[in-house]
Order: sequence, then C-alpha cells, then structure tokens
Amino acid sequence: MKKLIYSILILSLLLSVMGLNVVAATEPVTIQFWHNYDAGVGQIDVLNQLIAQFKETNPGIKVNQVYLEWQALKNNVVAGATTGILPDVLRGDIGFVPQFQALNVLVEMDTVFPDYVDVADAVLEAPNSTAKASDHYYGIASNTNTKILYYNKNLVTTVPTTLDEMWATAEKISSKDVIGFCEAWMGGWNLCQYIWSYGGDILAPDYSTATGYINSSIAVAVIQKLADLYAVGAFSGPTIDPGALPDTDGMGTGKYAMTIDGPWKAKDLSTKYPDLQYGTVQMPAGPAGSIGVLGGEDFMMFKTSDAAHQDATWKFIRFMIGKDAQIEMAKAGQMPVNKEALADKEVLEVMPLLSIFSNALQTCKARPVTPKWGDMEGIINTKATEAVLGQKSVQTAMNEAAAEINALLQ
Amino acid sequence: MMTSGVFFRTRKYFRKKDNARMLLLLVPGLVVMGMFTFYPIIKMFVMSFFDWKIGYNQVSPFVGIKNYLTVFSDPIAGMALANTMFYAVVTVPGQMILGLMVALLINEIRKFSVTFRLLYYLPVITSWVVVALLFRYIFSNQGLLNYFLTDVFKWIPEHIGWLSTRWPAMTAMTLLGIWKGIGWNMVIFLAALQAVPEEYYEAASIDGAGSIQKFFHITLPNIKGTILFCTVMLIIGAFNTYTPIAVITGGNPAHQTDVVLTWTYYQTFSSYKMGYAAALSFVVAAIVAVIAVILFKVLRPERM
Repeated sequence: MKKLIYSILILSLLLSVMGLNVVAATEPVTIQFWHNYDAGVGQIDVLNQLIAQFKETNPGIKVNQVYLEWQALKNNVVAGATTGILPDVLRGDIGFVPQFQALNVLVEMDTVFPDYVDVADAVLEAPNSTAKASDHYYGIASNTNTKILYYNKNLVTTVPTTLDEMWATAEKISSKDVIGFCEAWMGGWNLCQYIWSYGGDILAPDYSTATGYINSSIAVAVIQKLADLYAVGAFSGPTIDPGALPDTDGMGTGKYAMTIDGPWKAKDLSTKYPDLQYGTVQMPAGPAGSIGVLGGEDFMMFKTSDAAHQDATWKFIRFMIGKDAQIEMAKAGQMPVNKEALADKEVLEVMPLLSIFSNALQTCKARPVTPKWGDMEGIINTKATEAVLGQKSVQTAMNEAAAEINALLQ
Repeated sequence: MMTSGVFFRTRKYFRKKDNARMLLLLVPGLVVMGMFTFYPIIKMFVMSFFDWKIGYNQVSPFVGIKNYLTVFSDPIAGMALANTMFYAVVTVPGQMILGLMVALLINEIRKFSVTFRLLYYLPVITSWVVVALLFRYIFSNQGLLNYFLTDVFKWIPEHIGWLSTRWPAMTAMTLLGIWKGIGWNMVIFLAALQAVPEEYYEAASIDGAGSIQKFFHITLPNIKGTILFCTVMLIIGAFNTYTPIAVITGGNPAHQTDVVLTWTYYQTFSSYKMGYAAALSFVVAAIVAVIAVILFKVLRPERM
C-alpha cells in the first residue's frame, strides 16, 4: 500500500512538472520596451495600435511598453547597467548609442543577427550610421530628423538663402521688442550646422584631436558672429540668457523672428500658437553648403536579455521599421527612416514639410559618434556661451574648449 | 582579559528583560538607518577613491586621491561652492531674522494668531517646483518685475536681465530661499519665545528696561539653543539646495549659477563621473561639518 502511495505521489509530481514546462513553453514571451514617444501628439496611441497589430501576427510575443522622459530613459539605463534591470529594447536618442555602448550593455546587433545587414538595407544609411560604434552596429534607426529654418512671415519679408543673409536679416529686423534669431542651446546640436556649413569641423575625422578644429579660424568666426549679434540684441536663447523666453514661446509671441529647429517645432507652433504666420525653408547655406545636424532615435537591445527575448525583440524591431509601421508613426509626426515609407503618398500628405526635410536629410551630417560626445558637447556649450556673453575672447574660449576636449580623447 | 570583561558585562546587561526589549525595539530602526544611511555613506567614501564605472561587468580602477585633486582644481566646482556659500550666507540670516521678527510680532497678539501662523507657514508647505517657476516668471526678462518697473511705474527705460547673469540670478534665487523659509523659522522661534519665563520680562520692566534691552538681554540669551539649532539646520539645508536652481536657471549661463548639488548631479548623471561626484560630496560634507563644529563652539549655551 505504501509503495502505491509513493508511486502515485511521484507520478503526480512528474506530471505537474511536465505540465508546467508545457505551460511555460506556450506562455508568450513578454518583452519590455522603453521609449519616449510623445503622448501629446498621439504617438503612444499609435504605438499601442501597432503593438496590437504585432501581437496578432506574433501571438507568442507580448510587448510591454513603458514611457520614460528623455533624461529618465538615460538615467534608468545608467542605473540598470549596475543593477542588471534593463529592458529588452529601447527606442532613444541617437546620442545614447555610443554612451550605452561604453557601459557595455548593448547587443552587437550585426553580430548576433545574421540578417541585420539585409534588414538595415531597408532604412536610410545616414540615420543608421548613428547606430554604429567601434565598427559594429549597436542599434538600428527608428526615425530621423534634421533641422530647417522657421521664420515669422510678418517680420521676415525676404527669406534668406545664405547664412550670411540670415545673420544680416537678424540684425536688421531686431529692435527693443524683437530679437532676430534664437538658438535654444549652444551645444554641438546647435553649432555644428554652422561650423560645417562654413567649411569647418569639431573634431579630426579620426576623433584624435579637437585642436585645429573646434578652435579653427572657421569655428571662431562662426561663434564671433553669434557674439556680435548677441551684443546688439539680435541673438538670444534660454540657456545663454536664463531670463529669456523659451524658443517656442518666443517664436509664437513674435519675440524671436527666426530659429532653426526640427519637425517637432511645426507641431508645437501649430498647437500652441495657431494664429502665428510662419514659413519654413531648408537651412540657408554657407560656403560649404547647407549641412544640417542629423537627429533622430534608434532602437537598441540589451545584453541582459536571454536568447528567446532577443529573438522576440528583433522580430518586433523589424516590424517597427517596416513600411506600414513607419507610415503610421509618420501620421503622428515621426519622420520615417524606411525608404519605401518616405516615398509613400500618405506620408507626404500628413507631413507637408517632408519635402523640405527630405532635401535637408540629403546633406545633413551626424555628430561624432563617441561615448564622450555628451561631455564634449557640454564643454562646447560652456565655452561658446562664455564667448558669446563676452566673458572671454572667442579664440581664448575655443582654445580652452579644444584643450578640455583633447583631455577627454586621451 | 579586558575583552572578556566587556563581553560578560554586556551579556549581563542584556539578560535584564527591559534592556533586551529595548534592543529589540531599536533593531529595526538601526537596520533601516544602516541600509539607507550608513551603508551608502561608507560605500560612497570608498567610491571616491576609484574611477567608478557603472557599466555592465566593468572594473573600476583605484585612483587614490585623484578625484579629490580634480575637485580642488575644477574651476566650476569652485564656482558652485562659491555660489552655495553666497546662498547660505544670505538665506540663513535672512530667514532667521525675518522669521524671528514675525515670531515676536505673533507672540504679542492673541486675536488671529493662528491665522497669521498659517499664512506665514503656507510658503513652507508649497512645492519647491511651483514656487521656483513662479519666481522664474517674476524675474524673467518679460516677467512681472520688469513689467512693473518699465511699463507701469516707468522707473527704468528697458528690461533688466535679472536671471541673465550670475550674481543677479543668484540674488533672485536667494530671495526665493528666504521667502520660503520664513514660516519654518517663525514656528520654531515662536515655540522658543513661548518657553521664556514671563517673570524675567516683569522683573526687567520693574528695573526700567526698555523693549530693545529686554530683547537683547532676556529674549536672545534664552533662545540661544534654538538659534544654534536653526543655524545648523539652515546651513545644512542651504548646502542641499537643488530645486530652485534647477528650475530657475538650470545652472545657466554656462554653469555660472550652479550650486554644489546641481554640479554634482550633472557630473553623476550626464558625465557618469561617480568617483568625482562622491569626492565632491565628501568635500562639501567636510565643509558643513567644520561649520557646524565652529557654530557649536561659538554658540554654546553656557557661554552667553
């Protein structure tokens, strides 16, 4: 009798364990997706619809999306690098790729996924180049953007076609109530476009030095121009002057006549200041052309995920950069990286500025893809601000910037 | 031999039921303090001697006192410390003097005493972010202050950039700090004033002392302990200032309005320089500790 009882107990235990395995095998894989899509313009609604569509065609994969604001997204990954609590996939600023790669948390996607090159072929090369660090790809482009000139039609009657004309216009129309030009910040995101368009650069092409680049005569001339405009009240911005109006509110209220910004500015101005009469044009050219700064977001994957989660994540990413998902996201203001989506009629209808941005994307350039770029940009912002405010000569400030950046490159 | 004596005395001590019960009640608090106060402090002290890496499976090399040397040679850290000292030197006496004045006035009235206490305490319980945004609005170039000065009273021809440069911006932020802290000081001083025996004032009146003499010779000496407490707490608070600077100027322009905490935050979460940030935290803690020790020696109650 005892033998029978023991046999029944062992058999039932075995069956329950097998049953658990069967249940585990059939339970969907849940992937954690961190992002900073903008809820205010409906991007999260679109995301939820896309996730539902993805689930229909992939019933074994569940996507749990978590919104985090830009800085929180970065801070949580920084904290997670130590604790191991990281998502399976993140859609974040292109600047995050080299920083997170330096934390040793990102999956080397072109190594892990043999079809990476084929999949990446469907997206624009320039935006996808931002996912490359140290000869490997640690992400794939999600959406892209660059910057164009926004101008107040009531204040700017002749649209400038060159940067020199733009500065001259800014000075001419400035008065007690109007500041001709606004830049929100003085980092690389804001200054690189001018330095490149005048034929200069920030770093050596191999990132070995900043001397002769950030403190070159071209870079110094660009910042000197901004300093001269600031001195006569024709240039300002909220980080140069914390008492100044933020760029969108300044444009909307007619305080600022011109600014150079990305596609989100159109949405912001139309939503907050629907009566504002503004125009848009590709960033005016310098002697070396109209070379804007490439922006956007990439999808990234993390080493803490196991193989099953990484496979599921890759399927989800391929879905999100596919033509249909990119078209849907375009309706919520996200510029596609998928080549087919960019040429789609629906996208052209919902993004009336797309033709201007598409032209700008042909000539724009990515900022240096290096883990220290965040620190370098902080140095550029600090020194350029000191120069513009007249606290030191531009050459002195940029020489100091070069020295500090070189210390980071060692 | 001495160790075994201590051990047996300790064992005998905790054999008594009351002492064992006391230990049991203390343990949870000690555990929490140990986990969330002592351990982080010790860990951060250790971190300050390493080039602390936070990446996945990354090794942090030992760098000795390099982080401390970097702190002492960093011009922005020096500027942040100077700004913090300015903030402390202005807000601490400012809050205490105004708080004491309000407490003295409220102590003299019977009607509406509670109402006034409530009104003065409201800024204390208001969110720092909300009031910082309010002050930013007041002091911005197109803000309320410039509106009154140029458009209403026409005292100045053009707007003043109150937040545009270092010292005017720091002054605006210290005004916020003072305004927000008056109520807290008022409550503390009011309690202290109400503990001063009335007979002292009666005796002084009989001797012909006036109000000012009573204040300096009776009130102040009797609330000296409270003054010491407020001074130390407010100095610690001043060195922990973060929100008003982050909201009003963000440390701009070019980190010139940064205080130690905003600069530490920037180094930690933008540059990932954990070792440097840990070293800076300990340097600031050492400064605050030295100031506290000096204050305790100078304002020791038995001296007055």
